[in-house]
Amino acid sequence: MSSLKNNGRRLWRSLAEYDNDPEFRKYLESEFGVPPTESLPSSTERRRFMQVMAASFALAGAPGCWQEDRLLPMVRRPEGTIPGVPRYFHTSMPIGDVAVPLRAKSVDGRPIKVDGHPTHPDTQGASRMYEQASVLGMYDPDRSPSPATFASKSVADKSWVDFKTFALQHFAPLRSAGGSGLFVLATASSSKTTAEMKTRFLQQYPRARWFEYEPVNRDNSRGGSKLAFGETYRAHYDLSQARVILCLDADPLASGPESLTLARGFGQGRDPDHGPVNRVYSVESSLSPTGIQADHRLALRGAQIKALAVALEAQVSQLLGIPATQAPPPAAFLKDAKVAKFVAALVKDLVAAKGKGAVLAGDQQSPETHALVHRLNQLLGNVGATVSYTKDEGNPDLRSGLSQLVKEIGQAKTLLILDGNPVYTASVDVDFAKALASVPTSIHLGLYRDETSQLCTWHLPLAHYLESWGDAKSFDGSTVLAQPLIAPLYEGMSVAELLALLTRDSVKQGRALLQRALGFTDEKAFERAIHDGVIPGSAGARVQPELGELGPVALGPAELSGLEVQNSKLEVSFLPCSKLHDGRYANNGWLQEAPEHGMKLTWDNAAFMSPKTAAALGIEDCTLIEVTTAAGASVRVPALMAPGQAPGTIKLALGYGRTDAGIVGGATNPRDWDPVEPVGVNVYKLRTLQSWDYASDVKVSPLGTKVKLATTQDKHPMEPSGRETTQERLPTIVRQDTVAGYRAHPEAIKHAVHHPPLESLWKDPVQYDGHKWGMAIDLNKCSGCNACVVACNSENNVPVVGKSQVLMGREMHWMRIDRYFEGEDPDEPDQIHAQPVMCQHCEHAPCEQVCPVGATVHSSEGLNDMAYNRCIGTRYCSNNCPYKVRRFNYFNYTKHLESPRNKTLRMVQNPEVTVRFRGVMEKCSFCVQRIQEVKIHAKNEGRAIQDQEVRSACQDVCPTQAIEFGDLNDPKSQLVKKTSANRSYHLLQELNNRPRVNYLARITNPHPDLAPAAKADAQGGGHNKSTTSSEGSSTGHGDNH
Amino acid sequence: MERFVFPRWANKTVHLAGGLLGIAPLYLVGLVWYGAAPTAVTVGYMPEQPVPYSHALHAGELGLDCRYCHTTVDKAAFAAIPPTETCMNCHARVKTKSAKLEPIRESWQTGKSVEWIKVHDLPDYAYFNHSAHVTRGVGCASCHGRVDQMEVVYQHEELSMGWCLDCHRAPEKHLRPVSEVTNMQWAPSDQLALGAALRKQKNINPPTDCSTCHR
Repeated sequence: MSSLKNNGRRLWRSLAEYDNDPEFRKYLESEFGVPPTESLPSSTERRRFMQVMAASFALAGAPGCWQEDRLLPMVRRPEGTIPGVPRYFHTSMPIGDVAVPLRAKSVDGRPIKVDGHPTHPDTQGASRMYEQASVLGMYDPDRSPSPATFASKSVADKSWVDFKTFALQHFAPLRSAGGSGLFVLATASSSKTTAEMKTRFLQQYPRARWFEYEPVNRDNSRGGSKLAFGETYRAHYDLSQARVILCLDADPLASGPESLTLARGFGQGRDPDHGPVNRVYSVESSLSPTGIQADHRLALRGAQIKALAVALEAQVSQLLGIPATQAPPPAAFLKDAKVAKFVAALVKDLVAAKGKGAVLAGDQQSPETHALVHRLNQLLGNVGATVSYTKDEGNPDLRSGLSQLVKEIGQAKTLLILDGNPVYTASVDVDFAKALASVPTSIHLGLYRDETSQLCTWHLPLAHYLESWGDAKSFDGSTVLAQPLIAPLYEGMSVAELLALLTRDSVKQGRALLQRALGFTDEKAFERAIHDGVIPGSAGARVQPELGELGPVALGPAELSGLEVQNSKLEVSFLPCSKLHDGRYANNGWLQEAPEHGMKLTWDNAAFMSPKTAAALGIEDCTLIEVTTAAGASVRVPALMAPGQAPGTIKLALGYGRTDAGIVGGATNPRDWDPVEPVGVNVYKLRTLQSWDYASDVKVSPLGTKVKLATTQDKHPMEPSGRETTQERLPTIVRQDTVAGYRAHPEAIKHAVHHPPLESLWKDPVQYDGHKWGMAIDLNKCSGCNACVVACNSENNVPVVGKSQVLMGREMHWMRIDRYFEGEDPDEPDQIHAQPVMCQHCEHAPCEQVCPVGATVHSSEGLNDMAYNRCIGTRYCSNNCPYKVRRFNYFNYTKHLESPRNKTLRMVQNPEVTVRFRGVMEKCSFCVQRIQEVKIHAKNEGRAIQDQEVRSACQDVCPTQAIEFGDLNDPKSQLVKKTSANRSYHLLQELNNRPRVNYLARITNPHPDLAPAAKADAQGGGHNKSTTSSEGSSTGHGDNH
Repeated sequence: MERFVFPRWANKTVHLAGGLLGIAPLYLVGLVWYGAAPTAVTVGYMPEQPVPYSHALHAGELGLDCRYCHTTVDKAAFAAIPPTETCMNCHARVKTKSAKLEPIRESWQTGKSVEWIKVHDLPDYAYFNHSAHVTRGVGCASCHGRVDQMEVVYQHEELSMGWCLDCHRAPEKHLRPVSEVTNMQWAPSDQLALGAALRKQKNINPPTDCSTCHR
C-alpha cells in the first residue's frame, strides 16, 4: 500500500465535504454522481424500459437507410480560398470603450473560433471567456431578425426599407428644427468612426442632446486618476518585473481587458524553476481568480478597503520618512489582530520591494482608493519601473449619462438608443422605463429585441462585431480594426452605418466609413492595416504624470466599521458577472454553463456570503432570502455559502434575471417560443447612483424556501473514498510547497506519495518512438478564470446541457477546474487552489481495460482515443476512470440543431470534430484534430513538426500561460523543460496509470511574518522540511538552511 | 405506486412473439448476408448527376489531368469539385449551345451552385484527407478506379474501414512515385518491390490508430 503524507494540510472542495454532510456522502457513494434512488429505475420503470428496448430491437434495421449528400461548389472560387481549409483574419471585439484585438478562424466563410491577436501586446494570443464565447453569440438564433415596430408590447416585423421610409419623413422636420427634441443615448465607444459620425450627426442636428451610459464602466479609475494627477491617465503594470503585488479589490488575472497582459506578466514572474517568484497580496470582498492565486488574501468589506488604502498611505509614508497626506484612520477593523499583522507585514514588504512592487485597485473601488494607489506607487518608486501611464481619452463619466437623460426627458420628442439595454441596466433610482414610455418616438438599435426594445416604438437589428467594419482603442491605446468575417446574418447595421443613414451621408458602407474616419487615402495602406488588425505605432505614449495635492480622504462609518456581522449593517457588492458581464451575454449557453470560478455556480447568480455571516443571520445554504437596501429596494435571491467572502458582506452578480434575453437567458414575452423563466435574479433593482459598486446598511431576512443551485464543485470527485483517506490523498493531488521549502528540498514534491516500485501486470504494448504527446499544467499560474473551459467548448463542439442536467452532474465540459479550499477555517481558508483536470491520457488507462467494445483504445502516440461510433454507452470507462473526466451523452444534446429555427447555430460547430450523439461517451482528445492537421501539413511539406506547432485550444487561450502542450519525446521542447522540473508530478501516480498530464506543484511565496508557524512543524515529517522564508523583497531573510 | 397489470390484449403479443421467434434465424442470416454484400457498402453507387459530365471524355479521351479541375487535392482534405468557372473556361467557347450544359450556363448566369450528388460519401465521423494520400504517392485510381473510363462516375471500391486498413497496414501495395499519382494507366511490373522502396525512402508508416480518421 502506498503511504500518503498530508503534511498537516487540510483540503476540501465544499462546505458539504468540510462538514462531511450525509447528502454529500450519498452523492460520493453513487456510481455516476447521482444518488442511487434517482438514477436507478424502480420496478415499474424497469418494465417500461424493457418495452422500449424491445421496440428498439425491432427497429434495428432502420438505420441502414441513408441519405443522398449534395456538393455545392462555388460558382467563382476567390483566389486563395480552398474549400475546407481555415483562413485567419484579424479583427477586434469591443466591450465598452476598450477592444480586445483578435484573430478569427473562418472555415468556408463562417467564423468558428476566435483567439487573441498573436502579436498585439495586449493579448499575445490569449483571450478571455467573453471573446471565446462571442462566436456563439453571433450565431444566436434569438438575435433580432429584422427591424420591427413595437406598440404596447405587440411586435410587427418591418424591413429596412420601411424604416428608411419612416426615417425620411420623421427626421426631415427634426433636421429643419436643428435637432431640437432629438435625444441620443449611446454606449461608451473608443471608435474613431463612431466619433466622426457623432460629429457629423451633431453638425446636422446641432441642438440634439447626446448621452453616454455604461452600467459597467471605469469611472472610478478615471476619477481616481483625475484626483491624483488632475487628468485622466491609464495605468499600465509590468507584473513580470514586480516582486510584490498588492491588489486592492483588483483582479488583474481575470477582470477587464488589461487582464490578459497583466496575467501574462504575473505568470512570467511566477516560475520558481527559472527565476524568482513574486508575492501577491489580495485584499477583496469576494473571491476573485486573483484571490485564488494570492499568497496572502484578506477578505474585507469593499468600503473598508478604502480605509485600508488610507492606512497604507500613512504607514508607507511614515516608514519612508515622507510626510503623509493621510492620517491613520480610526477604523475598527484595523484593530483586529489578524488584519493588523497583515497590514504590518504588507507595509514592510512594499517598502522593501521599492521599485519592484505594484499596487493595483479594482474598478469597483472608489476614486479616492485609486488616487491613493497612484500615490503609493509613486512613493514606492514603482512608477517608471513596473508602472507606467498613458493618456486616457475615454469618457470619464459613463455612470450619470442615463440619469441626466431622464432629467431632461420632458424635452425629448425622439430618442435614439444606440446599442445597450438601459431599461434592464438602469439603477433603481433612475426610472428609465417610465421616461422612455413618455417619449413619442424611440428607436433602439440592438443585437436582440430585448427589454429596451419592448418599450421603444422602433427596433433595429445591430450587426455583431464579427459582421461589421469598425475600429476601437485597445487597452494600450493602439487603434485596432474590426472586419466582418461574414455578411450580417440578421440584416444588422453598425452604429456608424445607422448614423450615416440618419445624416444622409453620401458614404454608406461600413468599410468606406472606416477608411474615411481613419484618413486612409492609400487603398494599399488601408488593406495592410486591415490585414494586420492594428495601426502600427498607434499605442499611447508612455508618460509620467506629476502627482497633484491630495487632501485627506473622508471616511464614513461604513469605511471605519469592524469585522462583526450585523443585520441591517451588511454590505452588498454589485460586481459585473465574470461570465455575463453586465447581462449582455445572458443568452450565451457556453457562458451560462461555465462554472463560476469561486463556488462553481452555473445558470444562476446567488447571494454569496461566508458561512459565519450566514450563521449570524440565521440563513441556511441554498435558501431564499430577501435583500433590502437602506433605500428600501429589495430582491429575493438564493443564498449561497461562499468561503472567502468577507464577513458581513454579500456578493450579488449583475447580469442575471433578464426577462427578454432569449431562450437561454430568459424570455417572458413569448415570441416563437414558450415563455422561458429568467436565469437568476436582476440585482440592478438594488443599485443606485450612490451605491453603484457597494451598498452598505443592507438588511436581509431569510424566507426559508430551499432553492436548487446548480454548482459543479462536488461533482466528479477524484477521491470518492472515505473522508479520512480523502484527507490523506487530497494534499497529494494538490501539491504545494513554499519557495524556501522548494529551494531547500526540491525533491520533496515528487516524494509526496510513498509507494513500492510501480510494476505493471503486463508488458507495455506500445513503445512510443514517434511522437509522445503530453501536457503540463502549472498550478502556480492557473487562476481558474475559465477561459480554457469555454475555448474547449468552442473547439470541440461541447454541447450545452442546461441547469436541470447540471444539477444531475451531467455537464459535458471536457475540462473542469477543480477548486479546493485549504485550511481549518471555512470562513477564511488559508489558501484556495484551482486545478484544471481533463483526460490525463494515461499510458495504462483504466478506461481502456474495461471497455467491452474497444471504443476507447490507445494510439501509437499515447493518446487515449475515443471512437464514438463504436461506443455502446456501458459507461464502464467512466466508472473506472480515477480522474472522473469522462462525460456521457445522456440525451441527444444537439437535437435542437435539427430545427430550422436553429440553422445558424449549426454553423458554429467545428467541422473537424464529430458532433456526438446520445448514448456515447466523450472526453478530452488533446485536440487530436489539431495534432492531425499539423502532422499532415508537415509531412506534405516533407519536414518535421516544430515545437509549439501543435497547440491545444486551452493552451492557446490561457492568459497566464499555465498550460503547455507538446511532444515528450522532443528533449528541446518547452513541455519537457516544464515536465523535467522537480515540482512536476502526476495525479494519483500511485495507481500506476502513468498519466500524460503533468502538474507543476504550486510554490507559494509567503511573507515570513504571515506564514502559519504550525504548518512549518507539520511539514517537518519525512524529508520535507519546509521553512517559511521568502523570496523577493525581503532578501534579508534569505535561505537559512 | 399502483401495481401495473398488462391489459388483456397484450396476450396476443405472445403468439406474435412466438411467430417472430420462428423466423428469427432466417432474418439473421438474411441480415448478415445482405449487410456484407458489396452493394450494401455501396460499391457501384452511380447517381444521376445534374449534368451528364463524362470523365471518360474529359480525363480519358481529351487527357485532362485530374488536377485541372480538382485543384485542391494535394493541398487540402477535400479534392474540391471545381467551381462553375472551371467549366466555363472551355465551355464559354466550346459547345456553347449544348442542352446538356444548360445547368452550367444557368449557374454561371445566376451565380447559384450546380448541385452535384456526392458519389464517394464517407460517414461524417470519418475524416479522410486527400492531400495526405496524394503527396505520399497513392494514386487516384487506387481508390476511385479507372475514372478515365467512366462515362458516369461510380463508386469503385468499398470505402469501408476494413478496406482503408488493408492499405494502411500494407501501403506498399499502392504506392507510386508522386509524379504518377494522376496517371490512370500506371501499372508497374513489380508493384510490391517499388512500393516497398518508396515506402522506405519516404518513411511512410500510415497509422492505424482510431484518431487517425475519427476525431
